[in-house]
Amino acid sequence: MRCWWLSMVAMVWLVTGCSKPDSEAGFAGLADSRDGSLGFEQPAPGDVLVFPEDFGAHPAHRIEWWYLTANLETEAGDPLGLQWTQFRQALEPRSTDATPPEPSAWPMQAAWMAHAAVSHQGQHWFQERLARGDLGQAGAIAEPFEVWLDHWRMAAGDHPNQWQLTVSQGQPGQQGYWAFDLELSVKGLPVAHGDQGFSAKSASGEGSMYFSLVDIEVTGTVTLADKDLNVQGKAWFDREWSSQFLKAGQQGWDWFALHLDSGDKLMAFRLREEGGHFRSGTWIPRSGEPRALSSDQLQLKPTAGSGPVPTRWRLQVPGQDVDIELVAPEGNYTNDGLFPYWESPVSVSGSHSGAGYMELTGYNN
Amino acid sequence: MEDNVLKVRGLRKSFGDRDATVPVLADLSFELHSAGSLALMGRSGSGKSTLLNILCGLEQPDAGELTLFGQDHRQIDWQQLRRERIGVVFQEANLMPALSLLDNVRLRASLAGQPESRCQHWLDVLDIGALAQRFPDQVSGGQRQRAALAMVFAMSPSLILADEPTGSLDRVTADDVADSLFRLQAETGCGLILATHDPELASRCEKILDLAHQAADQNTGQSGL
Amino acid sequence: MTAFSALLSHYRRHPWQGIALALLMLMATALWTGIYHLTSQARASLSQSERVVEARYQVQRVDGAALSVEDFVTLRRQGLCLMPWLEVLPEGESRRVIGVDPLAALCFQGQADVVSFDGQPLRGDPFMDIADAAALPARQAQLFLIVDPDTGELSADYRITDFSLAPDTGQLGDSFLLNLDALSVLVLLITGLLLRSVYLLSLSQRRDSFALLHRFGVSPRRVRGHLVAELVGLAALTLMPGILLGQLLANALAGGFASVMEGLFDSRQFVTSGNSWLMPALVMVTLLLLVCAVDWLIPEKLRKAFAVANRSGGLSLLLLVAGGAGVWLAANLLFLFGSVALMLAGAGLLMPWCLSVLSSRLAQASKQPFRRWWWAEFGVLCRRLALPLVALQLSLAMVLAVQALVTTFEATFDHWLGQRLSADYYLEVPTDADGQVAVDWLEQNLPESSGAIWHRVLRGQGQLDVSGHEQSVDIFAVAPVGALVSDWRLIESAGQPWQRLAAGQGVMVNEQLAYRHELAAGDSVQLTLAGQSLRLPVLGVYPDYGRPAGEILLAADQLPDDFSVSFESFSISPGEVDIEVITEALSALWQEPALTLRDNRSIRDLANRVFEQTFMLTRAMTMLTLVLAAVALLLMGWVFLSTRLWYFRLLAVWGTARTGIFLSLLTLALTVSVSAAALALPVGIGLTWVLVQRINPLAFGWSLPLDLYPGFWLELLGLALLIGLCIGLLMRRQLGRPAVRPSVTGTITGGER
Repeated sequence: MRCWWLSMVAMVWLVTGCSKPDSEAGFAGLADSRDGSLGFEQPAPGDVLVFPEDFGAHPAHRIEWWYLTANLETEAGDPLGLQWTQFRQALEPRSTDATPPEPSAWPMQAAWMAHAAVSHQGQHWFQERLARGDLGQAGAIAEPFEVWLDHWRMAAGDHPNQWQLTVSQGQPGQQGYWAFDLELSVKGLPVAHGDQGFSAKSASGEGSMYFSLVDIEVTGTVTLADKDLNVQGKAWFDREWSSQFLKAGQQGWDWFALHLDSGDKLMAFRLREEGGHFRSGTWIPRSGEPRALSSDQLQLKPTAGSGPVPTRWRLQVPGQDVDIELVAPEGNYTNDGLFPYWESPVSVSGSHSGAGYMELTGYNN
Repeated sequence: MEDNVLKVRGLRKSFGDRDATVPVLADLSFELHSAGSLALMGRSGSGKSTLLNILCGLEQPDAGELTLFGQDHRQIDWQQLRRERIGVVFQEANLMPALSLLDNVRLRASLAGQPESRCQHWLDVLDIGALAQRFPDQVSGGQRQRAALAMVFAMSPSLILADEPTGSLDRVTADDVADSLFRLQAETGCGLILATHDPELASRCEKILDLAHQAADQNTGQSGL
Repeated sequence: MTAFSALLSHYRRHPWQGIALALLMLMATALWTGIYHLTSQARASLSQSERVVEARYQVQRVDGAALSVEDFVTLRRQGLCLMPWLEVLPEGESRRVIGVDPLAALCFQGQADVVSFDGQPLRGDPFMDIADAAALPARQAQLFLIVDPDTGELSADYRITDFSLAPDTGQLGDSFLLNLDALSVLVLLITGLLLRSVYLLSLSQRRDSFALLHRFGVSPRRVRGHLVAELVGLAALTLMPGILLGQLLANALAGGFASVMEGLFDSRQFVTSGNSWLMPALVMVTLLLLVCAVDWLIPEKLRKAFAVANRSGGLSLLLLVAGGAGVWLAANLLFLFGSVALMLAGAGLLMPWCLSVLSSRLAQASKQPFRRWWWAEFGVLCRRLALPLVALQLSLAMVLAVQALVTTFEATFDHWLGQRLSADYYLEVPTDADGQVAVDWLEQNLPESSGAIWHRVLRGQGQLDVSGHEQSVDIFAVAPVGALVSDWRLIESAGQPWQRLAAGQGVMVNEQLAYRHELAAGDSVQLTLAGQSLRLPVLGVYPDYGRPAGEILLAADQLPDDFSVSFESFSISPGEVDIEVITEALSALWQEPALTLRDNRSIRDLANRVFEQTFMLTRAMTMLTLVLAAVALLLMGWVFLSTRLWYFRLLAVWGTARTGIFLSLLTLALTVSVSAAALALPVGIGLTWVLVQRINPLAFGWSLPLDLYPGFWLELLGLALLIGLCIGLLMRRQLGRPAVRPSVTGTITGGER
């Protein structure tokens, strides 16, 4: 479940060349762009996931992303949150087996965007990069797995189920430099959300293909303010792709991925729209099959906020005896790029304890 | 000089469009001999100003005969007639505000083709010779009307049409202005048609034509040009 | 019925007057809003343009091979901030376009926009998306890679060199902005005049009602209070539409029809423009209140004293003389602006006075009564329409000044580019290479018969002895001194300056150096080059458009052998010879595969195009002022003449033909508007002079040339005629309608003299 809205805005804005990205443009653009979705393939109930192909790009679909959040700890025991996301936004559809255009033509069939952020001790570092596709500057390959934009890169390592993620911003030794270099060990199989991977995004059936790797052990180094911090902890990886946008009238979403200390995992989101929100989620028990949660099987409500952004939430899954409070640490965790949104770690308390990540969009003015 | 300056038979004039016409002048007949004077009586809206407008060619009658200086009204060159033979005096604003009294008289005389040398004489005759270089806003209302009379007589008219010439003056001043008007009319021997609602002023004319019974209480608007 | 509603009832009876009043108010608001927007757009456009041409760095391959998309990807994946810059000369076109990738440009600091390049739209003038540029059938195409050199180490296959679209504009842009500010203040003044005339019109048309109210016991103070309330109400009604209209106008003028439609139908317009309405709204309300409050702020005695003082034109002349002296002597900008304000006030007062005196003189002199009436009437018109006439006069003067200023700036910009980019190509001599080798080759292989012109440029430092003080100056040595420099425009010069410079008989100094040390042609300077002392006459002063450093130009033969050259280059116009022949030969001689060669013609062309938008906006701004001042005069003239209609109809009663009356009216209107234009001319020229010859030297220490454009004067005269014609034609319609006799009080409505 990722930045649909962001991508939509990006799309509208790249294609129409409007002057400033803002929410007005995004939502005004929604309806227009739906008409333009002709030619793109659209996920539907009954579609299934195919591995390892689905780790690679889907040029026949309009939007997709590779997304990793990690709840880490330094050697000193301080929590450290980390996010890396790479988006692909197609401007024109291309069938999976078609020949890509020549790089020398500087094609603009797709735009790529990468985000990286680190949250530590109330501070938030964020950076974004953009590139056009098909040049080689940015891309995604399923086997051997590699996703990159410029020198930011997530790729399979020498051992099976071992990945590497490297990101750096600025010049070592210079002010403002920060970086991370992580080893990821992937445990367990991909978890398909919704109906075998088709995850509905509204009551009327719009949706996307969505799976996650929910149990990733992380070790590595994060460099902040000239200090190398050795870190270790857990990560969550999402893959999602679609072509159909949010329904007009959906203002944004609130999304959570939680590692509970019980060993269970929980993903939940709600799409905010006039007259009732659309909720969905997946309960992934420590052992046994994941269970999709429908709108009436989970409750998700903000209880307090900082400014317009709700930073305290209550999440209930009555069927699993879950009644927890999710709290973001003090600080501003806005990813202040072309399309600002909130991305912060959360701590879990109540019926269960644990940690996770929260992404909130559409609260910016 | 023709015996009859003016002869009007069965004159009709109405206003409004085809659906709703309002008769202002209905079947009007009268005559004026040279050097004669005629007062038009009647309340506001009784058609006095309309009749004066018709008599100087600014409006056309709907029907009827109008003979002026022996010419049928359809054959008259009205523009020339107004320039040279018909003098018009309104209740007020007879003078160009940016010109001195003398220059006003000169302007009127020169349009009528009369010598400018006599202009100061006319101002003297009307007792405002000393004010010749003043501008209209620098003299009193009575003096302005005298200047207007000077303008009219400077053109050596055959007929004077006066529309409430003393209407905005006080009694005493009005009498003075009227005295001058009748005196000079008698001296120059021109015809005079005077519209007024003042019975006293009307009584100084040889004849009175009361339009009151001819027109209903219709307001045809202000005395317009 | 309250006094207030009694006042308002005037407009119920004369709705057109109310509408005219509201229209004028709306236009004044629209005018200032439009100007405000255009000025800020011009400001933004200028800074964007400057950003585009500012110095950058590029990556080149050490092996001299052309760059490709693979090089771009390789370097980006090494972590360098790099963007492609594809210069394409399309087939059948003479102008180049530049393909850029806004996505790649994002990593350069200060850029957060992916639909433009440094604020320049991607419409091919000259920038476009690189994919579109690459798709054009091209006569020539070259890929450059612009790099932020602080973002990482280059591998040994690449190196970094300078890259810029044009030399740094320096203070040229600052100067332009200062002038723009001065002009928008002037526009505010014009707007104030328009509003004041609206206010006075609303007063004069209703003096009857005021008199009546007064007779009913309403105090004048209360009437005035009601009037202000009414005006504020009117402002509230017209302010927002006026501001919107101003924005639309500004957009229409700045971006053409398309952006207007976008503005109309796109709610984003209003979201993104944020509080851009706040400033104009505040300014307009303040201005309106000031304009109404003038009568109370300045005591009546003082106003009467002014009127008396100006009866013989004395006050206006005094203001003009004082302002003129101030402008001449001003030692700082504030004083100068104050003096200009005095001068404008004097000019504004003088014009109606002049016309009034002229008309009464001519009326006196006219033997013919009708002509005398015409001149008298002309005098009335000039007095009654004084405010809108002055507004028109000042607008015309401003348009004149801005036209001269902008054209001068364009020309200066062109000269300035021409001076720095005099040859078709500019070739850097690589470090460690011997320039003399190239001189020998060029002398042998580019004979004069080939039509080629070139010179070698050596730069370094020298010491200038100014009254006992040693001061460091830039040395700019050229050999041979030829056609590439001799067409420079010199500020002052001795006889045959270029021949004497070539012969080593003197030096030239730049404007800044001359200004600072009061050097003139014919003076001598004491120069020390590499320890060797020279005493040489100054042959000329060349303009340098704001370059702050002192510089001395001399023939390179005069440099001592051990002069330390910090930078060396060649400027080459190859004539019939192919530039590649030259570069290949020199590349071989210097054993340097990758030479830095810039095509100056395309740089000039591109730089001009980048700045075009700024100049266009400035012209748009002044045209807007002029059009609205013209419409204001049109409306006011029409309203005023309508009140005089009775008297024109009186002429008809007196037997004048209607065509004759119409001709009188038409000639009156034409003479009034043309007089305003004629009297605007000296003011406009004065204003131009102040802008380029006084403000600029005071602010920046260098002057712009004063160029006048008489062809444009004729155009303005034509416009003035058009305004007069429109008034005349409007009145012609009125003539055919019944006129209302002026009211009882006689002297108030239409009875003025």
